[in-house]
Amino acid sequence: MSRKSADIILLGIAGGVLAAVTAFAPFIYAYPLAAPLNPVFAVATLIGELLWVAAMLAAYARDAAGRMWVLILAARVVAAVGVIWVVNTSLTWTVWRLSIGIGSVVFAHLVLAFPGGRLTTTFDRRLMRIAYGVLVLSRIGLALVWDPQSADCFPRCEVNPFVIWPSDELAWLFGPGTTLLLPALAAGVVVSLWRHWRTASPALRRTILPVAVVAPLELGVASARAIASLSQDAWESVGLVLSTSPLAFLHAAIPAAFLAGILSARLSRGAIADLAIELGRGVPLGGLRDTLARTLRDPTLVLAFPSPSGDGFVDGDGLPVEVPAGADVARGVARLEREGELLAVFVFDPAVEVEDPGRVQAVASVARMALENERLAAQVRAQLEEVRASRMRIVDAADAERRRIERDLHDGAQQRLVALAMRLDQARGQVEGAGELIDATTGELLRAIGEVRDLAHGLHPTILTERGLAAAVDSLAERAPIPVRARVTDERMAPEAEVAAYFLVAETVTNAVKHAGATEVTVDAELDRDDLSVTIVDDGRGGADPRRGSGLQGLVDRIGAVGGTLTIDSPPGGGTVLHARIPAHAR
Amino acid sequence: MSERPLRVVLADDAVLLREAIAASLAAGGFEVVGQADGIDGLVELVGATSPDVLVVDVRMPPTHTTEGLEAAREVRRTHPSVGILVLSQVIETRHAVDLLRESPTAVGYLLKEHVTRISDLADAVRRVAAGESVIDPEVVARLLGRPRAHSPLDELTPREREILGLMAEGRSNQGIAERLVLDPKTVEGHVTRIFSKLALEQASEDHRRVLAVLTYLREG
Repeated sequence: MSRKSADIILLGIAGGVLAAVTAFAPFIYAYPLAAPLNPVFAVATLIGELLWVAAMLAAYARDAAGRMWVLILAARVVAAVGVIWVVNTSLTWTVWRLSIGIGSVVFAHLVLAFPGGRLTTTFDRRLMRIAYGVLVLSRIGLALVWDPQSADCFPRCEVNPFVIWPSDELAWLFGPGTTLLLPALAAGVVVSLWRHWRTASPALRRTILPVAVVAPLELGVASARAIASLSQDAWESVGLVLSTSPLAFLHAAIPAAFLAGILSARLSRGAIADLAIELGRGVPLGGLRDTLARTLRDPTLVLAFPSPSGDGFVDGDGLPVEVPAGADVARGVARLEREGELLAVFVFDPAVEVEDPGRVQAVASVARMALENERLAAQVRAQLEEVRASRMRIVDAADAERRRIERDLHDGAQQRLVALAMRLDQARGQVEGAGELIDATTGELLRAIGEVRDLAHGLHPTILTERGLAAAVDSLAERAPIPVRARVTDERMAPEAEVAAYFLVAETVTNAVKHAGATEVTVDAELDRDDLSVTIVDDGRGGADPRRGSGLQGLVDRIGAVGGTLTIDSPPGGGTVLHARIPAHAR
Repeated sequence: MSERPLRVVLADDAVLLREAIAASLAAGGFEVVGQADGIDGLVELVGATSPDVLVVDVRMPPTHTTEGLEAAREVRRTHPSVGILVLSQVIETRHAVDLLRESPTAVGYLLKEHVTRISDLADAVRRVAAGESVIDPEVVARLLGRPRAHSPLDELTPREREILGLMAEGRSNQGIAERLVLDPKTVEGHVTRIFSKLALEQASEDHRRVLAVLTYLREG
């Protein structure tokens, strides 16, 4: 038997004894009370106490190192002290008298600390500090001034062994007067519960819901009893009814609510078993985060892996992701390591741990193997993403360079050559007999100008920048030696998409003429959601294969570099169909 | 020849070329009344100098794309009486057709290398000043030579194709007759046959005829 199981049994026995005492002690000493003892009430008390024991054991089983079960145990001890009056001595009666009110404060503490066992907000900590402070001071004060001999003692007069300065007025102030603060505490608890509720995650809400519903009822009844106890008439008409009527079963509902809340949090341990099964079946790469988020019941879960470059983190898709620094209280951070090497980081809603401490580590341990796979996959993806980005940068740089050269040719060489040809013509009248030479030289110059212009156009057609793909393809069709039917969208797109599509069309038309012997080419380019879809069909010989010859492979590469895809269908003798999808807008 | 020299404003950001054009214009008997190295202040310059013709480069700063065309449009809007000759380094039929479509009279679109001869430049400026349209022969050649699957153009005789090209360059029947050394009446007959073969309605005015022919060639 494990140590924990033994502890649970011990704790269970202790709880059972306390429960029995609390429920049945009043029968041991049948003192003549204002109302007869009610067996139904006793049964209700017993059921309630046993449920408390169950809740305590559940809390212990869930988190033995936590404080929840300690708080429940403390509350049960206080409850048992509440029946100490059955021992007929002055000391026990005085202790019993002094113990009145402690139960309500401990109960408030229990409610506010649920489910983690700790007070989580400043408001809660202040409220409980005040409550305990008032409680301790008033009990000490009451012990020193309460003299049951002189007071209108109810329900029985005894001797207070601690009394030093008997004073009825002060005794009222420290006793029933202080009890009047209970409604204030109850109000504070209700406010706090409302605040807890507002900030709680859906998972945490499920856990605290039962307690949040019944606790205000219990505190309301306790407040009513406290006020009613101020006068004998009120006590007999209200207090006893509240103590003995079916409302007493409310006492049993309270621990039931705590038990339900704790078990609901514990259910997720069942979810961990499900997780193990799901992982055993295999989770698709990239899908692990969603699976773990479901198990942790935290839709905000971020799964981060160390990036392959060593600085920062990436998610399952290999994209950069932020991991909050250790001081961030808004997010919980758990690091999973193996032999000093960081495997993964969980960034989660801290409510997950409040609700069920250790759950993240438990999930991480179960998923260790899958996390390792996922980490490798994420790093490969990150590297791919890097390669893709660098490929894009290379293409962008090449495009920019082509445009720069095109501009230099147009604005530099071409202008100079044209100016030269003009000057030459102006010289015509001034040099005798040089007409033929000038004509021949001008002819050469004009050919050079034409060649520079064609070269510049081949590098980057200016109309593409000016007017977009449709105009550029139109212009291309005019120059082509065979008919090119083009239906191209007039939409402007990202420059890299336009350039990629243009050169795809230009290259394909050239190939169709040069290699395939086509007599006609059809170009269709339209926007399909965020992609530019380009289809180019020729009626040539077919048989084009990217693996043979670098031209087509170059096109495949170029389209790939801008994040697009290119497929080629070119059966021998059957013409060629190219289809490309290119992201139309900058990413 | 007019009694006074035609006044020209010249806009081109390439200094060397601008000066060469200015020299050619001067040699051709024109008065260069203003020069600009960009589009800034061009409209004001035209307003201040009231030239007969504005000669403007298509590519100018800041983006070196079609600033010259935009400026030409603006001048046409503000000073409709000024003829506009656009010089380009690249052949874009779309530019030529757009230009004509927007304002079909007294405009020209020529490749820079086709005005290197003083006489060609002078001829173009004069024709624009006289309200004619002038379209670069290479633009026309490209439109005429554009590969077509089936077209009524196939039914034209070589002579008719030649005349169609000259019409597209903006030439009048008289101009075509002089160029081909034909009787104007003969040219008229050819023109009528061409229009009927292409199923085009014959335009009475020359500039409308240019646009009709160019549009047909570009879209047909």
